[in-house]
Amino acid sequence: MSSNTKSTWDWEIVPQTTWLGTSVSELWSYRHLVVGLVRRDFLLSYQQTVLGPLWMLFQPILTLITYVLVFGKLVGISTQGIPPTLFYLTGIVLWNLFNDTFLANSSTFRDNAHIFSKVYFPRLVVPLAQLSNQLIRFSIQFFLLLLIMAYYVIFTPWPAPSLLKLAAVPIIIVLIASMSLGLGMTVSVLTGKYRDLSYIISLGIRLLMFLTPVVYPINYVDEKWRWIVQLNPLTPLFELFRLLMLGQGLVTPGQVAYSLVFVGVVLVMGLLTFNKQGDKLIDVI
Amino acid sequence: MSDTVIKVEGLSKVYRLGTTGTGSLRQDLQHWWTTSVLKKEDPFFHVPTGEAKSSDGKNQLLRALHDVNFEVKQGEVWGIIGNNGSGKSTLLKIISRIVRPTRGTVRGKGSISSLLEVGTGFNPELTGRENIYLSGFILGMNKHEIRLKFDEIVAFSGLERFLDTPVKRYSSGMYVRLAFAVAAHLEPDILILDEVLAVGDAEFQKKCLGKIREVSQGDGRTVMFVSHNMQAVAKLCQHALWLQHGVVKEQGEVSQIVNHFLLTTQQNKTQQVWDAPDEAPGNEFVRFKSVELVPHLLTDNQALDIRVPLTVRFQMWNLTDNALLSVNMFLYTSNGDCILTVPSTAAVYDKGVIAGECTIPGNLLNDGSYFISYYVMKDTVPLHDFESCLSFDLEDYRGGESGWSGKWWGAVRPLIPFHLALKEPVLQ
Repeated sequence: MSSNTKSTWDWEIVPQTTWLGTSVSELWSYRHLVVGLVRRDFLLSYQQTVLGPLWMLFQPILTLITYVLVFGKLVGISTQGIPPTLFYLTGIVLWNLFNDTFLANSSTFRDNAHIFSKVYFPRLVVPLAQLSNQLIRFSIQFFLLLLIMAYYVIFTPWPAPSLLKLAAVPIIIVLIASMSLGLGMTVSVLTGKYRDLSYIISLGIRLLMFLTPVVYPINYVDEKWRWIVQLNPLTPLFELFRLLMLGQGLVTPGQVAYSLVFVGVVLVMGLLTFNKQGDKLIDVI
Repeated sequence: MSDTVIKVEGLSKVYRLGTTGTGSLRQDLQHWWTTSVLKKEDPFFHVPTGEAKSSDGKNQLLRALHDVNFEVKQGEVWGIIGNNGSGKSTLLKIISRIVRPTRGTVRGKGSISSLLEVGTGFNPELTGRENIYLSGFILGMNKHEIRLKFDEIVAFSGLERFLDTPVKRYSSGMYVRLAFAVAAHLEPDILILDEVLAVGDAEFQKKCLGKIREVSQGDGRTVMFVSHNMQAVAKLCQHALWLQHGVVKEQGEVSQIVNHFLLTTQQNKTQQVWDAPDEAPGNEFVRFKSVELVPHLLTDNQALDIRVPLTVRFQMWNLTDNALLSVNMFLYTSNGDCILTVPSTAAVYDKGVIAGECTIPGNLLNDGSYFISYYVMKDTVPLHDFESCLSFDLEDYRGGESGWSGKWWGAVRPLIPFHLALKEPVLQ
């Protein structure tokens, strides 16, 4: 919506959809809705469950146990001196952030079609609420990671990470969150139009996990095939995350720059497709 | 007070049918392959029903709205009427910013809230209290506003005891009451309503209408309102917009528009004439020549409503001499219940045309659909039964202010005076 300064009208509805979709001030006036939606999703996930919000911790712990047993013991992937618990948990926590934010956003139009077709609010509110929701979950899981790290620092000779390095971690979190948000918003337009695409998406994201150094370090991969994993823009970020948290990771500034550019492109693309195509999508869903 | 708050100019909406929105990627790819690469007919191309028109033989277009223009001034209550599929809901959706128009603009002043459905954003798993907040947010209220009105909303819904129960355990009536309670406490400058009154029981509908009247009259807010309940439209609105196949058929003062609309929707069979006895219904003794229903309308534009006296006439050929004939007229409701019988006196007639008529007085029947049958008797033996030869719809009319605008019960509705008086005043 654009307001025409020449006339005395407050608002104007025109056929053209805009790339930005909404103004910042309008978005701000809907901040309560973002909070409301986050609250709703939080309440809904743990309605009529035994453990309630504790699942946020149980899920990564159970995954961790599985990974330690399967990849650590059975397959025997070397974690290169890092305690397997710490190694896998850093991967799991960061992967959960990417995976959950992406999947939650990728079905925005499909899941909210009934609301979108009945009431207006800036559509961007929904992805923002999803992102906030996932960031809260991530913070809790990240806190678990810090606790376990503290245990290793105190009770084993494992060296404490430098605070300067830890201070750089939020940058990686912002980059991962932005990438999953951008990709998720782009895909949400596609799944809104083509429902069968969501099957491919969930399969694709599972495959992507194995192309990301979540359960293995990058230098475990044979040099001949390493470029495939390094083509994945998530790889430098995961390696950098481990480098900052655990002191080990194989990453070059060039690779990080590649990821940065990718995040920028994907985020802009996501915002633009979401706003421009999302308006048209209401006619179809 | 007479500021224009909504100005709609040249508004059109075209929906594309058939080619897009097949819903699956495989189908769209197949469509692209066959039409663009193989240059063949589209496998998913089916001619849709409705007001579709083909622009260039490639795309089927549904013209939901075409060149709609109108202006709404502040404090006015507009009713939007029209048959199903006439574009009413599309118009409201465009003004509510849910869908984009294909051409034209809508400009306006002030905040706008739309209520296209009762309970948008309600989540069955959450409690009543949480849903009040959530749906309030979705409808555009902020936390402060909701907190201020919370008690009022709860009191309006009458669900104090169930506030902390998940909404999924509510009865459907409770659900609707809570949802409407939230919506009723919105305070936009412009309120948009679509068929909200179609849900809920009579009591609830009354409450809704009262609230709408309060909103529009008390606070000078502007309301646009789609309904199929012509009584509600006539009562609440000053202005009406009549849409037909996406085009504005008429707009202006409400009673006139509602009357014109009702006149076109009435599917009355008010006359049947046969030229020759051979084709006419009947038997070797009698055959009907004509049947006719003549309403005594007060003005040309009056709709056929419950006040109108109706004269029912018939003519029949009597094919035998010296026949003792009598004719009964039966009036049925559309359900087949007989409302009344009008018997004629029996008399002896020779060959020729027999004519008869009787008049059903106005202010006797309730609103609804009726049909008339004739029953011819000869020597007290049934001779011919001419079933449902005439049919008509009577529209509702409310003159006196009774406050009630739901469906009036009962088969008949004569004007029976009813006096109430205070007999034993309590002495102070």
